Amino acid sequence: MERTLFFSGNEAIAHGAVRAGAVFACGYPGTPSTEILETAARLEGIHAQWCVNEKVALETAVGASLAGRRAIVTMKHVGLNVAADPFMTLSLTGVNGGLVIVSADDPGMHSSQNEQDNRAYAKFAKVPMLEPSDSQEAYDFVAEAFALSEEFDTPVLLRSTTRLSHGRGQVIPRVSVVLEPRDYARDISKYVMVPQYARLRNRLVLERFQKLRARAEESSLNVLEAGTADVGIIAAGVAYTYAREAFPKAWFLKLGMSHPLPSRKVARLFQQVARVAVVEELDPFIEEQVRALGLPVVGKEALPADGELDQDIVFRALEPFLSRRPPRRRRPVFPPAPRLADTPQPAAGLPVRPPVLCPGCTHRSVFTALRRHKLAPMGDIGCYTLGALPPLLALDSCLCMGASIGMMAGFNKALGRKAAAAVIGDSTFFHSGVTPLIDAYYNEADGLVVVLDNRTTAMTGHQGHPGTGLRPDRSQGPTVDIKKLCEGIGVRCHTVDANDFGVLDAAIKAEVDAPGLGVVVALAPCVLMVREKAGEILVDDERCNLCGLCLDLGCPALAPAEGTVSVTDVCTGCGLCIEVCRRGALSYAGASGAGAEGAR
Amino acid sequence: MNGTTTVSLVGVGGQGILLAAAILAETASAEGLDVKASEVKGMAQRGGSVLSTVRFGQNVWSPVARHADVVIAMELLEGHRGLGLLVPQGTLVCATTTRIVPGSVLRREEEYPGDLSAAAAARGVRLIAVDAEALAREAGTLRAVNVALLGAASTVLPFAAASWRRGLAAAVPAKILEVNERAFALGRGAVSNEEVGP
Ligand SMILES: Cc1ncc(C[n+]2csc(CCOP(=O)(O)OP(=O)(O)O)c2C)c(N)n1
Repeated sequence: MERTLFFSGNEAIAHGAVRAGAVFACGYPGTPSTEILETAARLEGIHAQWCVNEKVALETAVGASLAGRRAIVTMKHVGLNVAADPFMTLSLTGVNGGLVIVSADDPGMHSSQNEQDNRAYAKFAKVPMLEPSDSQEAYDFVAEAFALSEEFDTPVLLRSTTRLSHGRGQVIPRVSVVLEPRDYARDISKYVMVPQYARLRNRLVLERFQKLRARAEESSLNVLEAGTADVGIIAAGVAYTYAREAFPKAWFLKLGMSHPLPSRKVARLFQQVARVAVVEELDPFIEEQVRALGLPVVGKEALPADGELDQDIVFRALEPFLSRRPPRRRRPVFPPAPRLADTPQPAAGLPVRPPVLCPGCTHRSVFTALRRHKLAPMGDIGCYTLGALPPLLALDSCLCMGASIGMMAGFNKALGRKAAAAVIGDSTFFHSGVTPLIDAYYNEADGLVVVLDNRTTAMTGHQGHPGTGLRPDRSQGPTVDIKKLCEGIGVRCHTVDANDFGVLDAAIKAEVDAPGLGVVVALAPCVLMVREKAGEILVDDERCNLCGLCLDLGCPALAPAEGTVSVTDVCTGCGLCIEVCRRGALSYAGASGAGAEGAR
Repeated sequence: MNGTTTVSLVGVGGQGILLAAAILAETASAEGLDVKASEVKGMAQRGGSVLSTVRFGQNVWSPVARHADVVIAMELLEGHRGLGLLVPQGTLVCATTTRIVPGSVLRREEEYPGDLSAAAAARGVRLIAVDAEALAREAGTLRAVNVALLGAASTVLPFAAASWRRGLAAAVPAKILEVNERAFALGRGAVSNEEVGP
């Protein structure tokens, strides 16, 4: 027997892709999807690359599929919004080599700006949706997804959620899938979606959908599991595991393929039991379809339509309904649950521990310089979004990746002056900041764009991007120079050392006062990648009057002490606090006199 | 629920919670048990609270649980918070000498909580207080606080010493295995039998 492996859902998906014969993997990082590609990058037999954004990633994977290879593309749920344009039309063209799109959804918004339920995209595009419930299924379903993709000539969505992606479980490896090679053959009416061809393809999509319905009825992915109680539960994904644990005696219709819905299997469950509930996170996706069959089911009137579920929530919500005396057959259904009565109460009144900008992070320096001017800072998504929280309160907006520059341009256009700035990370700039910058230039919008170039995609765990040239296996590829890129567009651009606050502050001030559109690239490698300390900071207790200017930086290394501030051992010696102190109370050790230049 | 044991590991990003959870999961696996685990780590690197859950038993379905039989806390404040996860008669194993003070406390908007043993007693929870920093230092590196604490927690978990050895070897990179084995042994030895009880 092969050794049982212990994989997160994400690792299982990557290994499952290799086992299924996929040779191409790409994506754009985003929690909870990121580790799929990072794992693939460590595996033999598959090429893995980060793309500039999800749209580009999907388009790249389509190219690989067209060439006859099996390709997998990974992203977080909101990434599919970015990729929605190619995705919707890909349903029409279909694939050559199998193409699987992994959408990692985030119920409960552990690290996301919304909690959209991407099963809706499966319905929208009329493509199959597979939902594994544990690591073994994550591993196995990838091969199922590729097989479906090629058999039905369709992209296949594989949906994970945070608990599957980051949950871990045992995986028994399986033998590798053996593939017939596929060649590329020119087929204009399939791949060129001008209206006359697209109309034809659309017909085929509708036919394909009927065939997929029939497949859902037969597929071993959709299992009717017999129980001993007179109740049934329909569930998919990780919600199935919660329901299984809460109601071990119930009948189950476990949907490994949640779209299209196998209605005959649903009807068969209703013949077996007196009552049926649907257990699903977020939208009543399955529930509404069951109701549309005219079958009475309990779902969102009992269970929440937001956030995550767990076995306790499921038990509490459904127990009153499922254990009610059944109308037809009379037998007790569930023993009372033992532990729920004496549930522990959360520990109240404790200090919260929100994430903060790291000590020494130069994003803080940029915010400090920007705060000296009246421009409304339009924000973007990255570590720097943390600057919107107290005490910095340094950002006015955060909508989605790449939104900052367009919002700035619109704001300034509407007011007819330079009233807003944009703050955007380097990775986000490449993701979707270049296109709005081009737009702002073309439309002659005024504005100041600060690119926080920390030489990495810090927020999601330090992935490479075109600015650094780093690939997921840490090898070095070619790099794109942000300054040259901006200048190539025609936009004025200055690169400054963000570790030198004086220079940074002056460059931002100059751009605030200058007419038109300009970019300041604030360059300094992420402090988490720079391990050595820049210097020791001393406090002169006599001069410090605890005015709070330095504490307002929100630096975790500064704390008020008795009548003064103290510098804790997490200090990196960046010296920003020295810059904001008006009384010269802070200085570098070894510098001559307070306020003197420190050694950097 | 039914025959499944839940262990939650809590602390602050960067404390090695995920590694400790991986060792625990591999150990339970080595015992031939079904194991599920999950973690919330989105902002872990930015100093947020981290929670990792490992569940084991004959047949474990869900990777998450709201309540734990054992909570392993790498930091005092998180130990206080971890009390809210424990079932009555549960056990809290806490690195009580480790304090990582959050910004709101530094800014004096909130207060760092005090005595953990009183809070644990009020809930009828057993507390095993460990000076994990001292143990890790003795083992040779402060970074092994996580594993020293796991060693202490091993005294209340139903696994054989051989399974722990296999769990450590499976989860810890070879380079740092030896120092972590030392830390584990020191943690395990630090909990006297009276503290654990019968
Ligand atoms: C459409 C979309 N894809 C992915 C993400 C996940 N994500 C959040 S921030 C970020 C990138 C941050 O990198 P950068 O702009 O360089 O800023 P840093 O964190 O380094 O400061 C990513 C990939 C997202 N929120 N939305």
